[in-house]
Amino acid sequence: MTTALAQRTPPAARYTPPASGVLSRVGNLRQHSPGRLQLILAALLTLGLLTGLVAGLTAHSASAGTTRLADRAQPLLVEAETIYSALADADTTAAQAFLAGGLEPVELTRRYDDDLARAATALTDAARLIPDGDDAATSVEALATGLAKYSALVATARANNRQGLPIGASYLSTASQLNRDTLQPQAQALFRSAGDEVDAGYDAARSSWWLMLLVVLFVALGVALFWSQVYLSRATRRTFNVPLVAATGLIGLLILTTAVLFTSQRSHLSGADREGSGPVAALAEMRIMVLGERADEALTLAARGGSDKEADFDRTAGALDFGDDRVVGVPGLMIRAEEQHTAYLAVHDKVRALDEGGDYDGAVKLAVGTEAGQAFGDLTGTLDEAITDRKAAFTTQIEDAGSGLDLLTVLGPLLALAACALAAIGIRARLEEYR
Amino acid sequence: MTRTRLALIAAATVTVLVTAAGCGGDSSPRYDATPAPSSATGAGPGDPQAAPATSAPASEAPCNARASLRPSGALPKAGSMPAGSRMAAIQKRGRLILGTSQDTLLFSSRNPITGQIEGFDVDMGRLVAQAIFGDPQKLQIKVIGYDQRVNSVLKNDVDLVADTMTANCARWKDVNFSSIYFEAGQRVLVSKNSTAKSVEDLGGKKVCSVAGSTSYDNIGKVKSKPIAVARTSFGDCLVAFQQNEVDAISTDDTILAGMAAQDPYAKLIGDRYTEEPYGMALNRDDPEFTQFVNAVLEKARQDGTWTRTYEKWLGRLGPAPQPPAAQYR
Repeated sequence: MTTALAQRTPPAARYTPPASGVLSRVGNLRQHSPGRLQLILAALLTLGLLTGLVAGLTAHSASAGTTRLADRAQPLLVEAETIYSALADADTTAAQAFLAGGLEPVELTRRYDDDLARAATALTDAARLIPDGDDAATSVEALATGLAKYSALVATARANNRQGLPIGASYLSTASQLNRDTLQPQAQALFRSAGDEVDAGYDAARSSWWLMLLVVLFVALGVALFWSQVYLSRATRRTFNVPLVAATGLIGLLILTTAVLFTSQRSHLSGADREGSGPVAALAEMRIMVLGERADEALTLAARGGSDKEADFDRTAGALDFGDDRVVGVPGLMIRAEEQHTAYLAVHDKVRALDEGGDYDGAVKLAVGTEAGQAFGDLTGTLDEAITDRKAAFTTQIEDAGSGLDLLTVLGPLLALAACALAAIGIRARLEEYR
Repeated sequence: MTRTRLALIAAATVTVLVTAAGCGGDSSPRYDATPAPSSATGAGPGDPQAAPATSAPASEAPCNARASLRPSGALPKAGSMPAGSRMAAIQKRGRLILGTSQDTLLFSSRNPITGQIEGFDVDMGRLVAQAIFGDPQKLQIKVIGYDQRVNSVLKNDVDLVADTMTANCARWKDVNFSSIYFEAGQRVLVSKNSTAKSVEDLGGKKVCSVAGSTSYDNIGKVKSKPIAVARTSFGDCLVAFQQNEVDAISTDDTILAGMAAQDPYAKLIGDRYTEEPYGMALNRDDPEFTQFVNAVLEKARQDGTWTRTYEKWLGRLGPAPQPPAAQYR
C-alpha cells in the first residue's frame, strides 16, 4: 500500500491545462463572423442575466429594508419613548401623591399603576424587537431589573405611609432617586439607540450600493444592446433585428419601472423621516422634558426648597422649543402646546410665589390641585395628539415607500430573462445563416 | 451644691471630649471654603490625618462648645422687636424661617397623615416664633440636608437651624449656637437578632450615619473599625438598614429612638459613647439674635414649656429630665 501510494504522482501536477487554451480558443472566435456572433450572444446573455439578478436583489433589499424600518426600528423607537415617558410620569405622579399627604388620591394611584403597567408592557415589546447581544438589550435588561426594584420601593413607601410612619417618605425619595438616576438614563440610552437604528434603517431601505451596481449594469447592457444592433445591421444588411429591438424595449421598460419605483420610494422615505420619525423623536423629547418640569415642581415642594430642583425646572423650561425645526406637519398643535405651556408656567410661578412667600400649604394645594393638573394635562394631551398624528404620517409614508418594490423583485428578473430570450432568438437566426 | 459640682464635672468632661473629638473638624466644608488639597473631601471619618489638620491653634482660648452668649436683660414684647435687630427684620418679613429635616421622627419629621413637619426641634423653632410674633404658627420650615446645616445659616437661607445639631467647637468657628436645649449621646441601632452588645462588637460591619453629622465622624473613631456608610438623611439610613444594605445605624440615641419606633425588628444597644449637646445654629453677624434665642430658651426652661415639649414628643423614653442648664461665656 505504502509503496503504491508513494509511486503515484500527485494528480495536481498532471491536470494543469495550458494557460492559454480557453482564452486562445475564445480569442480565435473573433477571427470569423459566426464566432463574433457567438461572442456577442454570450456577452448579452451574461449582462442580461446579471442585470435581472441584481434588479431583483436591489428591489428585495430595498423592500426588506423598508419593511424592517416599519416593523422593527420605528416600533422600537415608539416603545423606548413609551418606557421613558412612563417612567418620568410615574416619578412625577409618585411625588405628587406624596405631596398631597394623607391617603393617596385614587386618581394618582391609578395613574401611577397605569404608568408602571405601560412601562412593563413596552419593555416586553422592546425586548422582542431587539436581537441578542445588541447594546439596547443591556438597557432593556437593566430596565427590567430596575423596574421591579422601583415598584417594590414605592410599594414599601405606600405601606409605611398608610401606617403613618415618616420612613415612607424616605422610601419614596429612594425610589425617585433610582428612577431618575438609573432607570431614566437607561431608558434614554434605549431611546437613543432606537433612534440610531431608525437612521440605519433608512440607509438600509435606500440600498444605495445595490442601486449603484444596478445603474452600472443598466448602462453596460444598454450599450451592449445598442452596439450589437449596430454591428448586426452593418454585417447583415438588415437595418433592424426585430427580437433585439424588442429586447431593448423590454430593458428600457425595466429601467423606467426601476427609476419610477425608486424615485418614489426615496421621496417617501425622506417624507417618513422628515414628517414622521423626525417629529416623533423631537415631540417625544418635548413630552419627557415637560414631565421633568412637573416632577421638579413636586420635588421642590417635597424638599421644601431644600434642593435646587427649581433651577432644574428653569433650565428645562428654557430649553423647551415648541418651534423646533424638526417638528413639521403639526403647526396648529405646536402653537396650542406653546400656549398651554405658558399657561402652565403661569400656574407654576404662582406655586413658587406662594411657597417663597411662606405659604407652603397654599403652594402644595395649588400644585396638586385641579388648576395645575388641568393646565398640565392639557399640555401633555396636545403633545400626545401631535405624536399620534406624526406616527400616522410615518406609517402612511412608509407604506407608500414599500409599494411596488415586491413587484419589482419578481418583475425585474422576469423582464431580463425575456430580454435574454429575445436576444438569443435574434442572434441565433443570424447564426443559422452560416450553417 | 452636689448638682452644681456634678454639672461642673460633666461640663469639664464634655469640654475635654468635645475639644478632643468634636473640634477635629466638621465633615461638611463651608460653602465658600476653597477646596483643601488633601483633607476634607478625600479623608474619611476619623482619618488620623484629618483630625489635627483643622484643630485650633494653641494660642486660642480653650473652647467650651456649650457656652453661648448671655441674654441681655428681659425679652422684648412680642411684636415690638428692637429696631435694627435681626428679630426686627424677621418681624418685618412676617415669618421665621427654620431649617430642619423632615425624617427625624420625634424631632422633626413629616407627619404622613397631615403633611406637616412636627417634633421637638420644630417646637423649639415655634417658641422663637412665638416670642417674636406672639404666634407660633408664623414659622416657615425649610428642609435642609445635614451637610448644609452650617452653610444655610452662613448664607442666611434660614434664620436658625434646629435639627438635632451638636454644638461643637469646629462649628462655633462658623456659626453661633444657642444655649444647649437638649442632651443626647451616640448609640447604636442593630437588628433584633444581632448578638452585638455595643458599637465595639461591630468591627468590619457596615454602620450607617448621615454625611456631615458628628455621628458619622465618630463611627470612624471606634477602635474595632466598623465601616462607616454615609447617607444623605437618617430616613435613608433606615431604608438602607431595612434593605439589608447596612448592618447598623449609629447616631444620637434620640434619633435612634425615633427609628426603633418605626421598625419593631430594631433595637438599641450599648451605652452612650459620645455626648451630643444640641444647640440651635444662628448667624454670627447677629449676636443680638443669639442672645434673644437664649432668653427664649431660658424662659422655656423656667416656665415648664421645655418639660411639656419633652413629654409631648419624647415621653415614651421615660419621665422628662431636668432641662440642660444654660452656660454662658
